[in-house]
Amino acid sequence: MLESEYQEHQQNRFFLNMGPQHPSTHGVLLIVLEMEGEYVLDPQPVLGFIHRMHEKMGESRPCQAFMPNTARMDYVCALPYNHGYVSLIERKAGIEVPKRAEYIRVITSELNRIASHLLWLGAYLLDLGAFTPILYGFDDREHILDILESITGSRLTYCYYRFGGVYQDIDDKFIEATRAFVKRMRKRYAIYEKLVTKNIIFIKRTENIGIVSPDMALRYGMTGPNLRGSGIAYDVRKNEPYSVYPEFDFEIPVGEQGDCLDRYMVRIREIEQSLRIIEQALDRLPEGPVRSKVPKNIKLTPGDCNFAVEAARGELSYYLVGDGTSTPYRLKVRVPSYSNLSCLPELGRGILLPDLVSILGSFDLVIPEIDR
Amino acid sequence: MAKETKDYKKDFLHQGFDATETAYDQRGFHLEVVLDVNQVRKFAQTAYELGFYLVFVTGFHVRPDEGHDKGNSGLEVVYQFARYDQLYRIKACVSVPNSLEVPSISDIYQGADWHERETRDLYGVVFDGHPNLKPLLLAEEDVDFHPLLKEEANLKSLHEVSWSSEPPKAVKGEAEAESGQ
Repeated sequence: MLESEYQEHQQNRFFLNMGPQHPSTHGVLLIVLEMEGEYVLDPQPVLGFIHRMHEKMGESRPCQAFMPNTARMDYVCALPYNHGYVSLIERKAGIEVPKRAEYIRVITSELNRIASHLLWLGAYLLDLGAFTPILYGFDDREHILDILESITGSRLTYCYYRFGGVYQDIDDKFIEATRAFVKRMRKRYAIYEKLVTKNIIFIKRTENIGIVSPDMALRYGMTGPNLRGSGIAYDVRKNEPYSVYPEFDFEIPVGEQGDCLDRYMVRIREIEQSLRIIEQALDRLPEGPVRSKVPKNIKLTPGDCNFAVEAARGELSYYLVGDGTSTPYRLKVRVPSYSNLSCLPELGRGILLPDLVSILGSFDLVIPEIDR
Repeated sequence: MAKETKDYKKDFLHQGFDATETAYDQRGFHLEVVLDVNQVRKFAQTAYELGFYLVFVTGFHVRPDEGHDKGNSGLEVVYQFARYDQLYRIKACVSVPNSLEVPSISDIYQGADWHERETRDLYGVVFDGHPNLKPLLLAEEDVDFHPLLKEEANLKSLHEVSWSSEPPKAVKGEAEAESGQ
């Protein structure tokens, strides 16, 4: 390339701020794009707009008092965050959990996972310019929020699990409503399939866009549906079974080539698997107490401890170091979206700007979780 | 689901790393590796070649040892690795020297880029060789503010916060004296 040509190219380059209030960043995320015409040369995410230092809060209060914080990282799918934290403290302090409580945890966590996937579905299609699916998604999600509200008391930032069990037992009304939801949701697939999955515009916007290779996923530590879209069947629920997940029969849907369409398909098929888990759990729900006796002041013995669960976006890992008091000496929260988003500078190099929107949406980002 | 499980302890021992098996039920990982600061890159390379993915990188602040073991800043960098194909978690930790410099692994695991920037934000560890060590979660003007460093009064020694089966002798003596009273 001649020097003059190079200079001309340089002149055509400009910087574009996508966010922090852009609708398709799904939160307060800024991406500084170096552009040449319609093409993105270098997308650099800028984080920390809603950084609240949850880890410091975890280290400066007794472990029980951190429970509400766990629901405020990923507010779309808060129950698995509850689950990871209570399980971590239970592992550390050697607390037994009644079987019925574990079943209730699984049922509510899976309901929350479906709600998260439905919200993602609507929001993603909105990113791509389709307005109707979010109305369908919200309709279905509303049923789940009503069900969860009836036992947890809140609609979004749940604080329902307790060390050694759950806050209160589920009632017949809950079981009935959940069964009705499972039945209803199965009927809705046909609608989603007709509306979205077979929509030619949707396929054109997602097929062969943003391909994540298995090696790339490994280098960035990607997890969750974003990883499974690339064909790696890694799910903490199967790979590192916790709670009562080993007792249920469910599959891990995987994609083939790791493009946006595969990530979409994985989430859609995961909804069905979550429904299967809920059904089995309701059928086999054991009788008994839902909370074991736990000392008021839980002492965390010296030493470190790790606990991983599968949140809606991937592997959530809590790492705790105790020092003999009830306040953790160190609490690290490994959130899935953080690692998932970190591949964007590599993935978004040299693509069209509308494709970047498609990729960002397909990652299912929740920004408060990334910023913590 | 019965998956083939392999123990990777030998692979790491063979490469000269100080690896010890840990009780998974208690601690949530299978192998603990204590690294020397100049082993970090070799370890990351070995883990990458064996097919591990990086779970996180973070810091840890304890009271610096006095007397022996000079050049110890009291900071530690903790890495966690795991596998996609089987259940195997590794915790690797490296003691940060007084210069606060630890080699960066962000060219081996590109995902470490952000984790290292976050650790620099929160603890002030400088990752040598990192291409872009700017504040990530904190504001750019907070370049010298490290919120997770503990105050002197809250610091504990490493042996007070580890599983260690045999505490240092001086402490053991004290503990016995206390229990005798």
